[in-house]
Amino acid sequence: MGKAPEQEEEDARRRNPRAFAVQSAVRMARTFHRTQDLKTKKHHIPVVDRTPLEPPPVVVVVVGPPKVGKSTLIRCLIRNFTRQKLVEIRGPVTIVSGKKRRLTIIECGCDINTMIDLAKVADLVLMLIDASFGFEMETFEFLNICQVHGFPKIMGVLTHLDTFKNNKQLKKTKKKLKHRFWTEVYPGAKLFYLSGMVHGEYQKQEIHNLGRFISVMKFRPLTWQTSHPYVLADRMEDLTNPEDVRINPKCDRKISLYGYLRGAHLKNKSQIHMPGVGDFTVSDVSFLPDPCALPEQQKKRSLNEKEKLVYAPLSGVGGIVYDKDAVYIDLGGSHAHENEEEEVRPNHELVQSLISTHSTIDAKMASSKVSLFMDSRPLDSEDIERQEFVMPKEERAVDVKTGRVRRKAIFDEEKENHDAVSDEEDDQEEEEMSEDGSDGDDEDDAEEESDREILGEEVVVGSAKRLKREVTKEEAVNELPAFADSDDDLEVSSEGEGKTAPEESDMEGEDSEEQESYENESSDSEFEGVRKGVTKSEQYEINREDEEMRSQISCHNLKKKAVLTTDSGNCTAEEASESEVENSSMEEGGDDEGSHGESEVDALDGKGFRQTREKKMGSVKQTELKAVEDEEDDDVENLLKEEEEYEEKIDFSADTAGALKWKEDLTQKAAQVFLRQQQSTPNLRKLVYGTVAEDEDRESENEDDELGGLFRVSRPDKETKQKANALDCSKFLIEKPQDWDLEEVMSSIRDCFVTGKWEEDKDAAKLLEEDEELYGDFEDLETGVVHKGKPAAEGDESGSEQEEKEGKMSKAEAEEEEKKKERMDKKRKLKEMFDAEYDEGDATYFDDLKEEMHRQAQLNRAEFEDQDDETRVQYEGFRPGMYVRLEIDNVPCEFVLNFDPHYPIILGGLGNSEGNVGYVQLRLKKHRWYKKILKTRDPLILSLGWRRFQTIPMFYIEDHNGRHRLLKYTPQHMHCGATFWGPITPQGTGFLAVQSVSGTTPDFRIAATGVVLDLDKSITIVKKLKLTGFPFKIFKNTSFIKGMFNSQLEVAKFEGAAIRTVSGIRGQIKKALRAPAGAFRATFEDKLLMSDIVFVRTWYPVSIPAFYNPVTSLLQPAGEKDSWRGMKTTGQLRQERGIKLKQNKDSLYKPIVREKRHFNKLHIPKALQKALPFKNKPKNLEKKGKTPRDQWRPAVIREPHERRISALITALSTVNNYKMKKAKVKHRQQLKEYLKVKQKEEEQKLKRQKEAKKKIYRMLGQREKKRQKSSLKGSSEGDKSM
Amino acid sequence: DFEASFIRLIDKVTNGSRIEINQTGTTLYYQPGLLYGGSLEHDCSPSRGIGYYLESLLCLAPFMKHPLKIVLRGVTNDQVDPSVDILKATALPLLKRFGIDGESLEIKINRRGMPPKGGGEIVFACPVKKVLQPLQLTDPGKIKRIRGTAYSVRVSPQMANRIVESARSILNKFLPDIYIYTDHMKGVSSGKSPGFGLSLVAETINGTFLSAELASNPQGQGAAVLPEELGQNCAKLLLEEIYRGGCVDSTNQSLALLLMTLGQQDVSKVLLGPLSPYTIEFLRHLRSFFQIMFKIETKSPEEEEHKGGAKVLMTCVGVGFSNLSKTIR
Repeated sequence: MGKAPEQEEEDARRRNPRAFAVQSAVRMARTFHRTQDLKTKKHHIPVVDRTPLEPPPVVVVVVGPPKVGKSTLIRCLIRNFTRQKLVEIRGPVTIVSGKKRRLTIIECGCDINTMIDLAKVADLVLMLIDASFGFEMETFEFLNICQVHGFPKIMGVLTHLDTFKNNKQLKKTKKKLKHRFWTEVYPGAKLFYLSGMVHGEYQKQEIHNLGRFISVMKFRPLTWQTSHPYVLADRMEDLTNPEDVRINPKCDRKISLYGYLRGAHLKNKSQIHMPGVGDFTVSDVSFLPDPCALPEQQKKRSLNEKEKLVYAPLSGVGGIVYDKDAVYIDLGGSHAHENEEEEVRPNHELVQSLISTHSTIDAKMASSKVSLFMDSRPLDSEDIERQEFVMPKEERAVDVKTGRVRRKAIFDEEKENHDAVSDEEDDQEEEEMSEDGSDGDDEDDAEEESDREILGEEVVVGSAKRLKREVTKEEAVNELPAFADSDDDLEVSSEGEGKTAPEESDMEGEDSEEQESYENESSDSEFEGVRKGVTKSEQYEINREDEEMRSQISCHNLKKKAVLTTDSGNCTAEEASESEVENSSMEEGGDDEGSHGESEVDALDGKGFRQTREKKMGSVKQTELKAVEDEEDDDVENLLKEEEEYEEKIDFSADTAGALKWKEDLTQKAAQVFLRQQQSTPNLRKLVYGTVAEDEDRESENEDDELGGLFRVSRPDKETKQKANALDCSKFLIEKPQDWDLEEVMSSIRDCFVTGKWEEDKDAAKLLEEDEELYGDFEDLETGVVHKGKPAAEGDESGSEQEEKEGKMSKAEAEEEEKKKERMDKKRKLKEMFDAEYDEGDATYFDDLKEEMHRQAQLNRAEFEDQDDETRVQYEGFRPGMYVRLEIDNVPCEFVLNFDPHYPIILGGLGNSEGNVGYVQLRLKKHRWYKKILKTRDPLILSLGWRRFQTIPMFYIEDHNGRHRLLKYTPQHMHCGATFWGPITPQGTGFLAVQSVSGTTPDFRIAATGVVLDLDKSITIVKKLKLTGFPFKIFKNTSFIKGMFNSQLEVAKFEGAAIRTVSGIRGQIKKALRAPAGAFRATFEDKLLMSDIVFVRTWYPVSIPAFYNPVTSLLQPAGEKDSWRGMKTTGQLRQERGIKLKQNKDSLYKPIVREKRHFNKLHIPKALQKALPFKNKPKNLEKKGKTPRDQWRPAVIREPHERRISALITALSTVNNYKMKKAKVKHRQQLKEYLKVKQKEEEQKLKRQKEAKKKIYRMLGQREKKRQKSSLKGSSEGDKSM
Repeated sequence: DFEASFIRLIDKVTNGSRIEINQTGTTLYYQPGLLYGGSLEHDCSPSRGIGYYLESLLCLAPFMKHPLKIVLRGVTNDQVDPSVDILKATALPLLKRFGIDGESLEIKINRRGMPPKGGGEIVFACPVKKVLQPLQLTDPGKIKRIRGTAYSVRVSPQMANRIVESARSILNKFLPDIYIYTDHMKGVSSGKSPGFGLSLVAETINGTFLSAELASNPQGQGAAVLPEELGQNCAKLLLEEIYRGGCVDSTNQSLALLLMTLGQQDVSKVLLGPLSPYTIEFLRHLRSFFQIMFKIETKSPEEEEHKGGAKVLMTCVGVGFSNLSKTIR
C-alpha cells in the first residue's frame, strides 16, 4: 500500500523532471529559511536536569476569584485520588496521585500577598474562571504575577457552566473565554469545562479527566525555582521554652516547620526568607521519613488502596489540628486504619506502630528508637506495664524531661491499637467506646510511660476514630523544649536506649529518673565539649573521671591513666608513640583484668559511686547501639580504637609504632598497616573536617565520641594555632625530599611520563594493532601492495604469553575468553565507527550541548547514589524531595499567635549573598492597565525573589551618553530604570510592584513589572541643576557674572565649565573675581546685555533613601492578614490630613496675554532721501490727499428731460444686450450641429476609403501569391492570416 | 606590612567595602563590598612576593563587575610565595578549565624584581564570568613535555645557562622533550636587586600542569647559592611534585577547590596529590563559609605501577554561585 504511491511519484519524477525542478531559488531559500527558523524556535537552552530520582510533590495551586468553586474542586480532586473526603481544607494537602507522582494541592485566596507567594512556588496553576461572569481582575492579576516570577504551567477551568440555559449562548461564551485565555497564556493552552454540579460536587468523570491531565503533565524547570531551595511548610510547631513565654508572652519564638524540600539543595545553617515574616537563619535542619511516600515497588499497573495516601496536617489529616488554644490529635480517618491493617506487619504491634509513624515530632528520635527496638528484643506490653508499676509517681521528673503529653496520647492510642488488634479488630464503634474508656483510665499512667518510652510519635495508628484530646496550651508547649536542640535529642534518645537495655533499667530501680537527669547533664557537657572543642581541660577532666572510675576497678588502670594524661599533654609524635607502646603493653594485661573487674562490679549492686560509674558506662554503652556483645569488652575495645585513631592523628609516621600497641605479632602488625591504609579515607576526612564530620556512620562515630572526639577536635585547633603564627603561603614545602639519584626512587615515577609504560587500553602499539585487525586486509591501490592483517592468532599469542607468565591457568579456557572478548571489542568498535560516521552530519552545537548537559546530570545522580542519606546530606546538603524539619530561632511571637493555616508559609532559601542589602537597578515599566503613573520617591511594594517589601524607588532614564537622569514620574508607555535600596537579588530576576497590598480595589492592582539589571554599592543617578547668574559688568565679549556661586572655591571647581545665556549666547567660566564673593569672569561668543540671564547646567547626584521594609503580612492578626499597610505616600497623607499643597504662584499656568506689537515708522533722513533714486524715494502720498475746496468739482444735476433720455437709452441698451446674448447662444448651437454633421461625413469618408484600400490590397496580395505559386512553392500561412 | 598592602589591594578592587583597623592593629573589621574590577594599579609590599597577592586575585577576578586589568609592582620571584612564572604557567590553564577564557586572560611580566627590594612589574588581566563550569579532572595523563624559565637579573647572564645545564642533566633521564628558556633582564626591567632562579613546568597530554621552582637567596641573606646546585634541586623538586602527582599541582589545589565550590549545582571532581596543610585549612574555611564538604577518597597506587604516591580524589557539589556584580544589558 505504501509502496505504490511512492512508485508513482518516482515515475512522475522521471517522466516530467521539470515539474519537480527548483522553480525559484529565492523561494526555495525562503522556505528553507522558514523551516530552519521553526526548528530553532523549538529549541530551549539546554539546562542540566537536576531533578532528583524521587522528586518532591508537584505544587498545584488552585486560584480564582471568590465563590468560583476552588474548595469544591480541591475536595473533588482529593476524593478522586484518594477516595477520601476532607471536610475542611486548610493549608497544603499532599496526596499520592500515581506511581511516580505526588501532588501538593493548595488553595490560593484573593489576597494579593497569597497570590504572589504561591505564584513563586507553583508548578501547576489551576485557574478557575466563573463562566457565567467571565474573567475577573484576580485572574489577570494572577496571570501577570506568574509571568513575572517565571511562568508555571497554567490550566484553566471553567465552572458555573450550568447557569447557561441557552446552549448557543454557552458555546459562544466558551469560545470567547477560550480565546481570551489563549492570548493570555499561550495559544492552545488547555481549558477545562466543569459542567454542572451533582450533590454539591463536580461531575465525577470530568474530575477524573482533570486528575489524569494533572498527573501526566510535564513541567519545564523555572530558573528561580531550580536555583533556590524552598519549602512549602505544611506543619508548624512552637518550640519555645514555656517559661520564657510565661515571663514574657511577647518573647521571640523558636519554631519548627515541616515540609517537602523543593528546588535546590538546602544547606544547614543557611539563610532563608519567609515571605510575610522576614529573614532568618536556619538553626537546624533534619530530614524525616516521608509521610506521604511513593509506593515502593513499581511493577503494578495502578495504585492499590493503601498507597493512596493523603497528608495534610494543617487540615487535620495525618497530624495535629490546631485550634486557638488547644491541640487536637488526629488519629486518622478510616483510611489510616486501613493502612495500618494492610501494612506488612512486623512481629510486634508496637514496633509496627512506630514504623508506620506518619508524622513525628522528631523522627530522628523516632528512627533511633525504632532501630533500637529492632536490634534489641522488642518491648511488649508486659514490659511497659511493669515499668508503669515500677515508677508510678514521677510527675515532677516528667516535667523536667518535658512530659510528652502528645506522645502520651499516642501511646494510649497505640496501646489501644494493640488492644484492638488483639481483639481481632472488632466493630469499630465498639472500639471507640472502649478507647474512650481506657483513655480516661490510662491517662495518669500514660503520662509517665510516654515520656519514658515513646518519643514523640503521634502515630496515625489503629483507631478509627479521631480522638480529640484537649490539652492546655501551656502544657503543650511545656513538652516541646526537650527537642529544642539536637543535643538534647541525642541525649534523650540515648537515655531511652540505655533504659531499654533491660539490666540497666532493672538496676537503676526507683531513682533511675534522677540518675537519668544527671546523666543528661553530664552527657550534655560532654557533647558540648565534643561539638565545640572548647576547653581541653574540661575534656581531660572528663577523661580523668573516666579513668578514675576505672582505677577503682583495677590498679593497672591507674598507671594507664597517668600514661594517658601525659599522652594527651604531649604533642610530639615520637613521645606519644612511645607512650602508646607502653600503654598498649600495659593495656594488654589490664584489659582483661579490667573486664573482670567490671563484671565483678556488675555483680555487686547498689552503691553510690558505683552508680555513677554505671552512668558512665551507660553513656558509653548507649552510643554503641549493638549491645549484642559483652559490654565490658566493647568498652575496652572502644578505648583502644580511640587511642589508635588518636595516634594516627598525631603523626602518620608514627603508624608503625602505633601498630605495636595493638598486638605484638608481626603479622598482625602488617595487617594493621594495611587496614589503616584502607581506612585512610575517613581519616583524611577527619583530618580535614574534624569531628563534626560524623558521616561514615553515626554509630561508629558515637562509639568513640568521648575520648576520640576530644582528640580529634583538639588537633585541628592546635594546627590552626600553629597556622595562625606561621606564614600564610600556599606553597607545599617538602620536608623530606626523596633522593632522586637512586634508581628505585626514580623508577617510582617512571610511568608518569610518555616515555614510561602505558596502560593496556591506551598503549599506542596495542591500539595500532587493534586497528589493523579491524580493518583487516586492504590493498594499496596505487602501489598494488597487498597489506595483510595480522592473523588473530598472533595477538593471542602475545596475550597468552602474558598469561603464562602470570600463572598456570587453564589455558584453553582463557583463550576462549580472550577470543570472545576480542570479538566483542571488534564489534563494538565497528559500531562506534558506524555511529560516528552517520551521526556526525547531524550533530550540531545544540546537540553537543544537550549531550553534555545530559552527561552532567547523570554524573550528578550517580555520584552520591550509593551512600546513605546521612552521608549524602553532609556532602550535598538536603536534596529536594526530602521531607525536612527546619528549626528557626527568633521568630516574632505574632507569627505563632496569629497563625492561620489558610495562608501559605513558604521558606525560600537564599543564595550566598542574597541576604545582603544594597542598591539594585531595575528596568521597569508601568503596567499598561494601571491607571496612574508612579512618582519617584513614593514608597512602592515590590515582589522580588522570595521577598515582598516596601521600598522607595527612584526612576531614571539613561541618556545617550550613559548618564542616568532622574525622572519625576514613570513614562507612560516606555521602560525606564529604577534604583532602590533593598535586598541583593541575582540579575535577570523578574519583579512586580504594587502600590498597596491591603484591601481590594476594583482597579488593576499591579503597578509595574520589570527585571533586575545590576547590583551595586554606589549610585549613579543624577538630577539636573541649573545655576543662574547675572552680568554686572560687560566688556566686549567678556563679562563679569555674579550671583551664581557663593565663594571663590565654588568658582574654582567650575572653572572651564560651559555657560549659556537664555538668549543662546555660549560662553565659558574663566576665573573667580575677588570683589563680590562668588563672582567670576566669563567669556562669551558675543557681547551680552545687562538684561541677559546666564546659567550653567550641572548634574547633581541623587541619594536614594535607604528604606527597606519587608511586608509582614503573616504577622497580622487573624482575619486582617490582607490589611498590611506600610509607609504611606505623600499623596495619601495629604489627602488624609486634608493638607493642600502650597503652590508656587510662578509655576501656575495663566492665559498668555500677548500685547499688540507696535512698530515705529521707518525714518529716512532727508539727505539720504535726496540721494535715493526716484524709484526708492519714499513717496509721501498722504501729502496731496487733501484737495482744497476751491478745487472741488461740482456735482452734475440733470434736467427731467435728460433724465428720461438717459433712462430710455439704458432700457434700450439692456434690450439690445439681451438680444445680442440670445443670438450668440443660437449661433453657438448652430456651429455645434454643423460640426457634428461634418464629423459624420468625415467618418463615412474614411470608412469608404478603408474599404477601398482593403480591396486593393487583397487584390495585390492575391496577385502576389499567384506569382509566387507559379514561381516557387507558396507559403500558405501568410495569406491565411489575412 | 604585607597584610596592610593586601587590605589596600582588596579595597581597590571592591566597591563599598568597609575596613576598620583599631589603633594597635590587633583587630580588623571588614564588611565586604562588591567586587568592582576595572583598570587598577597596586604597589605590593616587597616583604612578600606578588604571588601572594596574585593568588587571591585569581580567586576573585572572575567575579568582578568589570574585567580586571591590574598592574602589580613588587617582588616577582622569591623563595616563599609561588612566583608569577609558576602562576602564569599553571593557574591560567586551570582557570580555563572552569570556562574562564578569552584572549584577555593573561599574566604578563614586564619587569622582574627580586627580594629584598623588588622593583618588578606584572600585568594581570582576567575576563568576568557569570557562572563557572563544573570540572571533571580525574585523569592527569602522562607528561609529554617539560618547560621552564631560568631567569637572572643583575647577575651574569651565564648564570641562567648554568642552571639550565644542571636541570637538564637530571630531567633528561626521564624525558627528551625539555626546553628551558633563559630569561636575562637588563636595565630597568631587571628590578632593584640581583638574583636568579628557575621555574619548571611539566605538561601532560591531558593538559594538566605540574610545577616547581627555586630562587636564589636574596642579596645579603644566607650563603650564596651555586646555580648548578639550584638547577639540580629544582629539577628534583619537580620530580617530587610529579611523584605527588594529581591533576592540579600543589600550589593551585586551593584555587581548584574554591572554583569547584563556586560552580553550578553539579558534581565536580578533581584528582589531587596529597593535600597540603594550606589546602586542608582552606577546606575548613570552605566548610565554614559555604557549608560545603568534599568527598575525599584516597587512591593508593597499585602494584607494578610507577606513578608516584597516593592521590586524593575530591568530589563536591557546587553551591550554585553566580556572579552577582556582573551587569546585564
